Amino acid sequence: MNAYREITHNGLWKQNAVLGQMLGLCSLLAISNTAVNAISLGLATILVMGMASLIVSTLRGLIPYEIRIPVFILIIAALVTVVDMAMNAWLHELYLVLGIFIPLIVVNCIVLARVEAFAAKNPPGAAAFDGVMMGIGFVWVIGLLGAIREFVGQGTLFAGIDMVIPGLSAIQVLPEDYPGFLIAILPPGAFFVLGLMIAGRNWLDARANERARQRLLLAGQSSHA
Amino acid sequence: MLNSPYITKPASVSAVMFKVLAALLPGIAAYVWFFGAGILLQIALASITALAAEAAVLAMRGKPLGLFLKDGSALVTAWLIALTFPSIAPWWLIVLGVLVAIVVAKHLYGGLGQNPFNPAMVAFCVMIVAYPQLMSQWPAAGFTDFAAEFRAIFGADRHLDAIVMATPLDALRTVLRLPETRATVEGVLGSNATFGNIGGRGWEWVALGYLAGGLWLIQQGVISWRVPTAFLATLGLISGAFALVDATQYAGPTFHLFTGGAMLGAFFIATDPVSGATTVRGQIIFAAGIALLTWIIRTFGAYPDGIAFATLLMNICVPLIDMRTQRPVFGRKTGKTPDGRQP
Amino acid sequence: MSDPQDRLPLDDTPPAPGEVQRQPGAMKVSARTATVLLLFTIVFTALMAFTHDMTKPILDASAQAQKLKLIGEVLPPTLYDNDLLADAVTLPATPALGLDEPSLAYRARKGGEPVALVFEACANNGYSGRIGLVLAVLADGRLRAVRVSQHKETPGLGDYIDPKKDKNKSNPWIEQFSGQGYDLALGGHWKVKKDGGRFDARAGATISARAVTNASGKALIWIAERRAALFALPAGTTLQEKTP
Repeated sequence: MNAYREITHNGLWKQNAVLGQMLGLCSLLAISNTAVNAISLGLATILVMGMASLIVSTLRGLIPYEIRIPVFILIIAALVTVVDMAMNAWLHELYLVLGIFIPLIVVNCIVLARVEAFAAKNPPGAAAFDGVMMGIGFVWVIGLLGAIREFVGQGTLFAGIDMVIPGLSAIQVLPEDYPGFLIAILPPGAFFVLGLMIAGRNWLDARANERARQRLLLAGQSSHA
Repeated sequence: MLNSPYITKPASVSAVMFKVLAALLPGIAAYVWFFGAGILLQIALASITALAAEAAVLAMRGKPLGLFLKDGSALVTAWLIALTFPSIAPWWLIVLGVLVAIVVAKHLYGGLGQNPFNPAMVAFCVMIVAYPQLMSQWPAAGFTDFAAEFRAIFGADRHLDAIVMATPLDALRTVLRLPETRATVEGVLGSNATFGNIGGRGWEWVALGYLAGGLWLIQQGVISWRVPTAFLATLGLISGAFALVDATQYAGPTFHLFTGGAMLGAFFIATDPVSGATTVRGQIIFAAGIALLTWIIRTFGAYPDGIAFATLLMNICVPLIDMRTQRPVFGRKTGKTPDGRQP
Repeated sequence: MSDPQDRLPLDDTPPAPGEVQRQPGAMKVSARTATVLLLFTIVFTALMAFTHDMTKPILDASAQAQKLKLIGEVLPPTLYDNDLLADAVTLPATPALGLDEPSLAYRARKGGEPVALVFEACANNGYSGRIGLVLAVLADGRLRAVRVSQHKETPGLGDYIDPKKDKNKSNPWIEQFSGQGYDLALGGHWKVKKDGGRFDARAGATISARAVTNASGKALIWIAERRAALFALPAGTTLQEKTP
C-alpha cells in the first residue's frame, strides 16, 4: 500500500495544509488560543474533510466538469451546516466558543483544495483517507499551536476540557501564581508562534536534505572505491 | 530589498550610539529628581540583560562578539526600554521586554541594520499587550523613596497603592470619558495638585531634559533636525487645532508635547536610522505620521501612550514611503522614477 | 494544485468526466448541467433540513438552559419555586438601567411570596463598549448579586469585572456588591473608593470597575424603588411609569 503511505506523508508533513501550503490560516489563527478550542475545531475540520472527500469521490462520475466547483461548495457547505447544528445541539458549551468559526470551515481553502485536487480524481477509499489525513495534518498543527499558546499564555493545558468531556479538568502546568503572558493568547501571539513553527519545519527539512546529500555523497564515494 | 541602502552608516556606529546615550542623561537626571532612583536600577537591569542577550545570540549566529557588542546599539535599545517602561515595574518585566527587543525584534530579523521595527517599541507593545496592568502602574510625582521602589522592583509582595499614580495622559482620558462628570481638560489638569500645568508635574521636566539632549544631538550632527521638527510640529498642530475647536475636551499642544513619550519619541525614537525612512522627504513623512498616529491613539485609543504603536505602524510604511519619495534615477531622460511614476 | 501529480496510481476511472461528455449540443449540455445541480441542491438541502428538525428541540432546550444558567449565577434556583421565565414583566426603555430598548424583568417567588427580581442593565461608559449586566434584587431591596453578561474590556486589565477572568478566584471583585442594600446607593456611597465610595477597584484599572459600580448602583435604586409595583403587575404586561 505504497500509495496510502504517500497520502499519509503528504497530509501529515510534506504537503501539510498549514506548514506546507499555508492554507486555512484564518480559522487557525483565530481559534488556537487554547488546546481544547484548537483541537475541537480541528476535529470538526477532519470530519468535514473526510466526508466531503468521500462524497465527492463517490459522486465524481455524476458531477459535470463545468459546474464542479459550485457542486463541491454545495456539498461542503451542507456538511458544515450539519456539523454546525449537531455541535450546537450536543456540545453547546463548546459551540458558544467555536460558534462563529464552524461556518468558516466552508471557506477553509484546505477542504476545497483537497476535494478539487484529489477526491475528484481518485476512488472513494483513497479520497476519504486523503481527506482524513489532511485533516489530521491540520489538527496536529493547530493543536500544537493551541497548546503552546495556552501554555505560554496562562500556564495551563487543556483548559475548558470539561466543555467536551464533562468531568475532566485542565492541567495546571506552571504554578498558580504564574502571571501569564497575555499576548500569546491574543491574536498577535498566534502569528508569532505560527511563524516559529514554520521556521522549525523548514529547519528540520533543511537538516534532512543535508543528511540525504551527505549519504548520497558517501554512497558515491564508496561505489567508486 | 526595495531600494537604496536602509542604513546610512556614519564613520563609527559606536561613537554615534554613545552620544545618543549621553544625550539621554539630562532627561534621566530629571527623572531621578522627581521619581526617585528606581529608574537607575531599571536602566542597569536593562543594560545587563541587553548585553547578555546580544552576546548569546551573536554566539549562536557565529558572529564576532567584540565588534558587535561594542557598537552600543543594544545599550541604546536597553535605555529606551527602561525609560518607556514604568520605573516601578517588577524586574522580570523589563528583562523580558529587553529579551523580546534583542532576540525577537532585532536578531530574528537579521541583526543591526536589518530590523524593520524599532526593537524598543516592539518590546513596549508586546509587554503592554501582555501585561497591561503592570505597564500602567506609574510612580507618583515626588515619590522618591528608593527603598520602596527597590521593594516594588524586586519584592515578591508588591504593595503599590501608596506609590501608584495615574499618568496625566491616563487621568485625562479616564475622566473625559465619563459623561456624567462633565469634566474638562482644564478641570482635570488644573484642579489636581499632583499635575503641573504643562505636561504634568515632574513629567514636563523630564521632557525638557530629553529636549535638551536632543538639541545637543542635532548640534553634534548625530540626528537631522527635520525629524524632530516634523514630529513636534505635527503633534503641536493637530492638538492645537482640536483644542481650538473644543478646549474643554481636547488637551492643547503644550500638554501633548511635554507629556508622556513625545520628546523621547521626537528625538530618540523617530530618528532611529535603521527602522526609519531613508530619503529626506521620507523622514519628514515618517516622523509626521508617528506624531499624527500618536495623537489619535492618545485621544481615542485604548492604551496609555501611543508613541510605540504609532512607531510600529509607521515602520511598516517605511518601504512604501521610501519608494514613493525616491529621487529620479540620475541620467534617465524620461524623468520617471524606477517604479514608473511621474515625478 | 490540480496537477496530475496528485493522481495516484490507484486511480481506476477515466480522467475528468466532463471532457468525454462535451460532445452533445449546447442546449442539451446546459439542461443536463442544470438538472444535476438542481438534484444536488435538493438532496443536500434535504439533508440540512433533516438535521435541523433533529436538533431543534435540543437547541430550544439549551437556549432556555443558557438563560437559566445566567440567572442562576445571580439567583440560585433553590431560592424560588415558580417558573421564572414565564413570570416576567416588560420594562420600558429606561436610561437609569442604561437600556434604550424595552427589557424583561423576571420575578422569583417562593410559595407565592416575592423573593427577588432578576433583570438586565447596561453600563455605557466602560473602557471599550457597553458592559451588559444581570442583576438580582431581593424583595427587601438588597442586591442579591450582579454578574457581567457581556463586555469588551481590555483582557488582563479591566476584564476582572467578569469573575471567570478574575485572577482572585476565592473572592472575585464583583462579589463585594452581593448583599448590599439600596440605602447605600441612596446615600451616595455606591462608588469606587477613588471617587469617595465604598467599593474597591484594582490599581491601574479603575474605569471598568467604576462603570460597573455606577451602573449597578443606579439600576439597584431604580428597581428597588419600584419593586412593589413590579411584583404586583400581572405576568406579561408592561410597567407603566406615572408621569413625573
